[in-house]
Amino acid sequence: MAKKGSKNTATNPPTSYSFTKEQLKEIEALKAKYPEVQAVTLPVLWIAQDSFGHVNPDVQALVAKTLDLPESHVHGVAEFYTQYFKEPKGKHVLDVCTCLSCGLSGGVDIVRHLEKKLGINVGETTADGQFTLQEAECLGACGYAPMMQITNDVYVNHLTPEKVDKVLDQLISGSTPDFESIAMPLVDSTHTTKRGGSNE
Amino acid sequence: MAEIVIDGKSYSFEGKPKLLDFILSKDKEVPFFCYHPSMSAPANCRMCMVKVGQYVKNRDTGEYELDEHGERQIRWFPKLQTSCNMDMMDDMIVHTHETDNLVKRAHKDTLEMILINHPLDCPICDQAGECPLQIQTYKYGPEGSRFEVKKQHKPKHVQLGPRVTLDAERCINCTRCTRFTDEISQSHQLTITRRGDKNHPTTAPGTVFDDPYSMNTIDLCPVGALTSTDFRFKARVWEMNQTPGLDITNGKGVNVDLWTRDNLVLRITPRHNPHVNDYWMTDKGRDAIQLYNENRLSTPSLRLHPKDKDLVMTSWDNTLQTIQEIVESTDSKQILSLGSPYASVEENAAWAHFSQTILKQKPSYTAHVEKGAGDGFLLVDDQAPNTAGCDLLGLKKRTKAALKKAVSESQVIFSLHDDYIERGWITKEDLKGKTWIYFGTNLTQIANAATLTVPITCAAEHTASYINVDQRIQRTYPAKETKYTNRRLDLEMSEGRLDRFGTKFDHWVNEDNKIDCKPLWEIVSDLFSLWGQTITYRHGRDVLESLNQTITALDGITYQAMDDHRGVLLSTSEPQEAST
Amino acid sequence: MSDWKSYEPTLIPNIEGMHQLDTYRKHGGYEALHSVLHDSKKWPDPSSVVQEVKDANIRGRGGAGFNAGLKWSFMPPADGGPRYLACNGDESEPGTFKDRKIFEYNPFLFIEGATIAAYAMSITTIYVYIRGEYRSWIKKMEKAVSDAYDAGLLGKNIMGSTFSVDLVLHSGAGAYICGEETSLLESLEGKRGYPRVKPPFPAQRGLWGRPTTINNIETLSNVPGVIRNGATWFKSIGAETHPGPILYGISGHVNRPGVYELPSGMPVMTLIEEVAQGVKDGKKLKAIIPGGSSTPILPAKDLENLTMDADALRGAGSMMGTAGMVVMDEDTDIVETLWRISKFYHHESCGQCTPCREGTGWLEKILEKVVKGEGTSRDLDLLLDITSQMEGRTICALADAAAWPVRYTISRFREEFEARCKPSLVPVG
Ligand SMILES: Cc1cc2nc3c(=O)[nH]c(=O)nc-3n(C[C@H](O)[C@H](O)[C@H](O)COP(=O)(O)O)c2cc1C
Ligand code: SF4
Ligand code: SF4
Ligand code: FES
Ligand code: FES
Repeated sequence: MAKKGSKNTATNPPTSYSFTKEQLKEIEALKAKYPEVQAVTLPVLWIAQDSFGHVNPDVQALVAKTLDLPESHVHGVAEFYTQYFKEPKGKHVLDVCTCLSCGLSGGVDIVRHLEKKLGINVGETTADGQFTLQEAECLGACGYAPMMQITNDVYVNHLTPEKVDKVLDQLISGSTPDFESIAMPLVDSTHTTKRGGSNE
Repeated sequence: MAEIVIDGKSYSFEGKPKLLDFILSKDKEVPFFCYHPSMSAPANCRMCMVKVGQYVKNRDTGEYELDEHGERQIRWFPKLQTSCNMDMMDDMIVHTHETDNLVKRAHKDTLEMILINHPLDCPICDQAGECPLQIQTYKYGPEGSRFEVKKQHKPKHVQLGPRVTLDAERCINCTRCTRFTDEISQSHQLTITRRGDKNHPTTAPGTVFDDPYSMNTIDLCPVGALTSTDFRFKARVWEMNQTPGLDITNGKGVNVDLWTRDNLVLRITPRHNPHVNDYWMTDKGRDAIQLYNENRLSTPSLRLHPKDKDLVMTSWDNTLQTIQEIVESTDSKQILSLGSPYASVEENAAWAHFSQTILKQKPSYTAHVEKGAGDGFLLVDDQAPNTAGCDLLGLKKRTKAALKKAVSESQVIFSLHDDYIERGWITKEDLKGKTWIYFGTNLTQIANAATLTVPITCAAEHTASYINVDQRIQRTYPAKETKYTNRRLDLEMSEGRLDRFGTKFDHWVNEDNKIDCKPLWEIVSDLFSLWGQTITYRHGRDVLESLNQTITALDGITYQAMDDHRGVLLSTSEPQEAST
Repeated sequence: MSDWKSYEPTLIPNIEGMHQLDTYRKHGGYEALHSVLHDSKKWPDPSSVVQEVKDANIRGRGGAGFNAGLKWSFMPPADGGPRYLACNGDESEPGTFKDRKIFEYNPFLFIEGATIAAYAMSITTIYVYIRGEYRSWIKKMEKAVSDAYDAGLLGKNIMGSTFSVDLVLHSGAGAYICGEETSLLESLEGKRGYPRVKPPFPAQRGLWGRPTTINNIETLSNVPGVIRNGATWFKSIGAETHPGPILYGISGHVNRPGVYELPSGMPVMTLIEEVAQGVKDGKKLKAIIPGGSSTPILPAKDLENLTMDADALRGAGSMMGTAGMVVMDEDTDIVETLWRISKFYHHESCGQCTPCREGTGWLEKILEKVVKGEGTSRDLDLLLDITSQMEGRTICALADAAAWPVRYTISRFREEFEARCKPSLVPVG
């Protein structure tokens, strides 16, 4: 059957959000990597979130408009994936893993410590908008439990209350913790480890 | 020819039918929710489980392998299979719940799961009585619930768009609605949001579900999650009669069902016709309930003096006599006789018969085409249901200018249905000093300006045929009574729907809401007798039968043939009069 | 198995700077690809590569353990149209954290393996799907991929041959289900990660309706070794029916958790006692989950003489999964641990299929009740019943993955669950 109902793409284009020229160029380059434009929905939502801090409905509409995709599609996708913030969050989002291995290794204690320290409950944002505290499911760092991820980026491993406090201070002072390259232990511990990942 | 054995009975088949489709076509049942024959099969409800296996054949010899009892060996699929997306293969063995307890158990288990987060509010749900979930639960469901923890709550009474309301807690996530907007209407206005047991359909925030086909999702929804904003809480399904009919708001000839109670049409839903509309209809077509119920012309009315503001009611006898007087006192050249693409073939034919015999002229008509209104799907440019019928009867087509000219040159005008004033083709001024006799169903602007209004039956009150833009002739059935029809005598009227879902229920008992109107062919018959001619059209069928003789294309066309073939495609070889 | 101490790692060798292309090449990197592309005596055609990989019996390291070469052989003959390889780096099964080690320490090994696979199956584009949380590792991979392009190891006319293939990195955004291979395809196509019904299988209709093969990162990283040293060499490593090196991820209550590369078929107790240096704080071992959260739990008493390979684990009533072993000490609250696992699957169900969408939540809610001490013995039976209502009835295996831990943890640790339940209200005797 042929074309039918009216396509309701970006009926209310957001006024407050727009992509820069460079970002639009980046999006064009992304499109070239896939046979269909729809495939860049996730990457472009990432570009949007990195730039605006969230992908609220207005940002979703911007993405839909930029890619000429139905708004409902972009909305459905944004809502499916947990890393996309569907509303603005704190400047730093702390995702503390409380899943299997972290749960066994004190992940919940870390959450309680953060709740006390920040004066908020899980799922809330501090009044100054600095921190949002969230519980996360397994982040693929089970051997380095308990751990947390900071604003969808760097992992902080082997957490203790003291380490958590240090990280908070660091974040408040405006810097982010470095990537922790965790050396692969040698099977035979009498040898020393030479292998190492890049820290760049 | 391949073979399949279902519950011990073998069937032959060709091609690659889907198992569920095939089983249903054999008048057997397998419960299902998400499957729909006109859309993709996501197999997500997991309801339509069957047990499937295949006879084992020796690879080298091609012979069936036999077991120790000499029976053919069967290799069963390790798991139960969903039949909706299963391609049939030669030598397949299928057990449905009729012959396999594990299948029975799977149906029960799935229903228990579907119901745990369902609100179980059937007593206040519009879908009750025609709800697949309710029906399947009674037939295949568990005896009770073992769910004793907190239900997942979701948004309720969400106005998705002007016509559709969502109760997400009732939703079973079958994705029929989102597949409809993706695959059929292609408006892409709906999506499933969230994940897991928080899933439900929605529009993108700030957008509305105003798809011109939006209400099909209500019909598709296997539960009461999507309901009609207007119809919500108005009637229970079992109180209504369901009668086949046609969509008269458009030239496509969409097949519909009219749902009536107490002689009011309460809702219109699409009726499957693969040749015309598949399972779908437009939202606009459902508005015809207003045409059927509201603002009806009832009892003939007359303007005693041209200056009078209002018309006054009059008797049928007086009406007919008045018409006779007018005709007899007017030179036939001063009379304009108009047919209408809004009226059926039978009405136009009966009128044409009278017009040619008594008024000495063939009626002309005007088409109502709105260029660009069509969408290549079910909306077409032609706004009237029977333009092709007028052409087939040889009525002369007039343009806007030709109509205006003809009106200005005539003293007496007989017209049918069309509201030329509303359409802007003529003005009220053009009627000044004229005698305008209007046969119609509704109090249109032209009815308001006419000299005499004669109420006739609407498409929901008579049996008559309409020819759509593709030359398919289809017919209506009386869905509601008029003051004069007696359904028990009129064989065309069903005595109550053979309830698809259980009870036989008859609601033709109420005297309210019966319109004082008559079929046009009856009025024409009465007029003929005033002129001393005995032509009796008691029923649409009588008119159609007379056309069988006179119009080649209609030779052999009967209501039965239309019923048997879901309408009949006419050969258009008939030479038709050129339009002016 | 006692020679494990002298095992020389091949996936992540103990060499400094392996993540840099020149170091990687200095140590034999890209010899395998070069031979495949240029040694037409050894590798007359792509199907000879498929055959070698098939002979090596690299069992998929993503969890299902399917012979990689056999899977490759399901690809229909090339027809000139696009064909895809989707590399599964979603790594989200709790207890699993191994593929990121390859991204970090030996990215070119994986890239080379994927390129060989692409050659073997006449693939036109390789998509590497990496879970969105691994942003740090995606950045590392971006660097490696761009270096490989610069060195003519990806893109047009690779290593001077007529073979060309592109490699595209694709970030997920937080959804465990996208590790399921057809959900991964949907996600790559930019949609909600709903697993597809099979058939059709991805080899027939995969990405954008075209033939597609999906392999785990570690699986593909084994390919260069097989090509360089031969299938026989590979099969000589570890367990006979499940050969080759394995990245064992050990987490939980051990002194030295981490990822270790060792031959398959390692004794479980050796991994715990020697490799991971024993249970923490000198406590006793209670149980392990051998290969990611979906694999059935095994009590300590069943671990003696048990080895880590598909057959041995199946015999013991569990599975190899991702070889991500979670170790639990004697003080572990098994009831709460099971609730955590159930919470995970409830959170991650995509919600398409009735039994999974509804069942995962039901399991979690009942377990929550039991954790709080409000459950009854009847609830435990109900939990078991629900698992059989979910298993084998859904589009993908997430429902199974959610059902198994519940079924086996309750049946293997029933007393602990009973002890947590409210006393029965029915008077006894
Ligand atoms: C719910 C679910 C999650 C999965 N997650 C992953 C994953 O994170 N990584 C992975 O490699 N395979 C995962 N798999 C297995 C894949 O479906 C697939 O079997 C695998 O990627 C194939 O690669 P292999 O044969 O090389 O192992 C998952 C399967 C299921 C059912
Ligand atoms: S609203 Fe109705 S049609 Fe749409 S997914 Fe839910 S149950 Fe299915
Ligand atoms: S089993 Fe669960 S995760 Fe898999 S497709 Fe069905 S609902 Fe989705
Ligand atoms: S359980 Fe926390 S990272 Fe895996
Ligand atoms: S009808 Fe087959 S799974 Fe829904």
